[in-house]
Amino acid sequence: MRRAVGVVIALFLLAASVRAGTPGISLEFWTISLRPFFTNYITELIRTYEGQNPGVRVHWVDQPVGAVVQKLLSSLAAGAPPDVVNLNVPMAAELAQQEGLLALDGLLRPEDRTRYFEGMLGSFRIGGRIYGLPWYVAPPVVAYNGEIWRRAGLDPDRPPRTTDELITYAKRIKDHTGLYGFMPNVNGTNLLQRFQEAGLPILEDRRAVFNSPRHVQELEKWVRLFRQDYFPEDTLRRGYLGATELYTAGELGMLITGPQFLLRVRHENRAVYDRTRVGPYPLDRGRVIHAPLMGLSIPRTTRRPQEAVRFALYVTDDRNQLAFCRIVTIFPTARAAARDPFFSRLPPNPTPEDHARTLSARQLPLARDLTVVVPHQGELMKAFRDNIEAAFFGHKTPKQALDDAVRRWNARL
Amino acid sequence: MRGSRALPLASSRPLLRPRLRTALVAYLFLAPALVLLGVFTFAPLVFGTLLAFADYNILRPPRWVGLENFRILLEDPAFWVALRNSLRYLAVVPAIQLVALLLALLVNRRLAGITLFRAAYYVPVITSFAVAGLMWNWMYAQHGVMNWVGLRLGLLPRPFDWLNHPTLALYAVMLVTFWKGIGYYMVLYLAGLQALPQELLEAARVDGAGRFRTFLSVTLPMLRPTLLLCTLLSTLAAVKVFEEVYVMTGGGPFGQTTTALLYVYQKAFQEFRFGLAAAAGLFVAVIGLVLSLLHVRIFREGGLRPW
Repeated sequence: MRRAVGVVIALFLLAASVRAGTPGISLEFWTISLRPFFTNYITELIRTYEGQNPGVRVHWVDQPVGAVVQKLLSSLAAGAPPDVVNLNVPMAAELAQQEGLLALDGLLRPEDRTRYFEGMLGSFRIGGRIYGLPWYVAPPVVAYNGEIWRRAGLDPDRPPRTTDELITYAKRIKDHTGLYGFMPNVNGTNLLQRFQEAGLPILEDRRAVFNSPRHVQELEKWVRLFRQDYFPEDTLRRGYLGATELYTAGELGMLITGPQFLLRVRHENRAVYDRTRVGPYPLDRGRVIHAPLMGLSIPRTTRRPQEAVRFALYVTDDRNQLAFCRIVTIFPTARAAARDPFFSRLPPNPTPEDHARTLSARQLPLARDLTVVVPHQGELMKAFRDNIEAAFFGHKTPKQALDDAVRRWNARL
Repeated sequence: MRGSRALPLASSRPLLRPRLRTALVAYLFLAPALVLLGVFTFAPLVFGTLLAFADYNILRPPRWVGLENFRILLEDPAFWVALRNSLRYLAVVPAIQLVALLLALLVNRRLAGITLFRAAYYVPVITSFAVAGLMWNWMYAQHGVMNWVGLRLGLLPRPFDWLNHPTLALYAVMLVTFWKGIGYYMVLYLAGLQALPQELLEAARVDGAGRFRTFLSVTLPMLRPTLLLCTLLSTLAAVKVFEEVYVMTGGGPFGQTTTALLYVYQKAFQEFRFGLAAAAGLFVAVIGLVLSLLHVRIFREGGLRPW
């Protein structure tokens, strides 16, 4: 009996020593809404990394987009944050301001920084420090329903080139078919990006300046279109999700969106997808395009900052970015990956996604994430949004709304 | 000799007095629940109350600021709009109670297939708000079924987004609360009705009382405990309404559907001002407490006496 107990103890100690001898590193990696479409890509990415780095285990958790910030906050407060987390620029800005993210400046080598487009890495520079590595970007395109265009007497081979032309087309579609022409991105705080696309400044010397006569004119233009019923009320509440639904139902002339949403149209309504044509995003006076950017950040209290950065650099390297772009119409943030002929050549019998890819790739040099980063981000963005909505619903004049928002911003800046 | 020494007799006096022992045993049984309540209810209550006097962003330690959060709250027009909306939400209470009671009376009959009706009215209660919210979102949308019906009946001049209408949006959300809550209160009233002593109802009938008189003079007064419970639960739910507003309007347009608890959420999780959120939460808790006391008082003093 004693001998048996001795053997068991010896085996236990042996197992424990073997376990202790393995340099086991466990990383937790959070992504945003990548299941189920990209499960294979992410699991393969992780499997390869684990193969190249024996002893490293990566645990992948996919979070819904609406809950990722709250969940990250809770995990930070509980002292159990993930090691690498997928965030967009507004999320990273808010969390960096709350000191929830690790500044990566000291952890990146010069060659790591030059790997990315400067403007895209710069989007994650918050308060002068880098809080994220750019992962992928999705410059918008205009997808349009060729049949609705023909009914409106528009030439499907001639997509709109400017914002003014886009509005003219949308009006024509509404007037001739009774269907809405578009659902412009003017909901929430998107007008801050629209202002910049129109060449209008938001901040000067850390003061809000978006209430000049030109800003007021820009807002008046959209309010007028709204009152004249040239875009649906849903636009203000449901944004691009509402637009994608309406377009997918064959009830919207044009869909201004990231090309990755064409995947949803293809899945949900093949007939509309087959009628879909794609044009470039119309440029305005600012000759810049707002392209929402996704990145990878490292929570401040991670226990393994070096390993976390190494994994984030691996996920965002040229090869892996390119592989991701090949399965969905997104674009790389790494210079070398963006030079791949995949982005400039159309295959035989191109699909709308193929067209979207080549068009967006051509506009990539004009694309930037135009998210405005200010202190008290959440509070000031809400003030802006509430005032803009008040203008759309006639509770304030556009001038009054912008004046009020600017006053509120400058009181907190 | 050691073996021959008699063992000392066990003391005839018990170690603990019987009452103390009973209390101890009772507390031992209560302990698991008390520990859970302490950790998950009372500790957060104390912590939340203290936070109302602090500046706290969840990631840095709290910093004492005295009454500053309350000053900010009182000067914030958005807080008053949120509070007003929560109080407006109380309009759901009488409507939901009346309809739930009527439905309970309807389904409290021995009819073939009545269980099916009871289950049907209860289905919305067990449907999650995420699903119900999404469904009503589509129904209220500009291209949704509400507009379609309204237009067909000639009740609407043009289709509009119900949940984005500055005046109607709150009432549209209230309708969803009404739809979702009826089944819950119906079941409570049904339980109350089935517990009524049948002899009293029979006696009323023998005395010549009609159905309506029996209901007013016998059923309703005897349902008073159920009425108190249902109206109290419903009132507190209305003051604390959050999920349906969060899922359906997010508080918009321009804050017109923000309720007190949504305001708390926005301050905490969108602006990271947990101290301010705690102060607003305390305010809502006090309102809930006052309304509860008012309820108990009204019902205890016979506010709903028989006619």
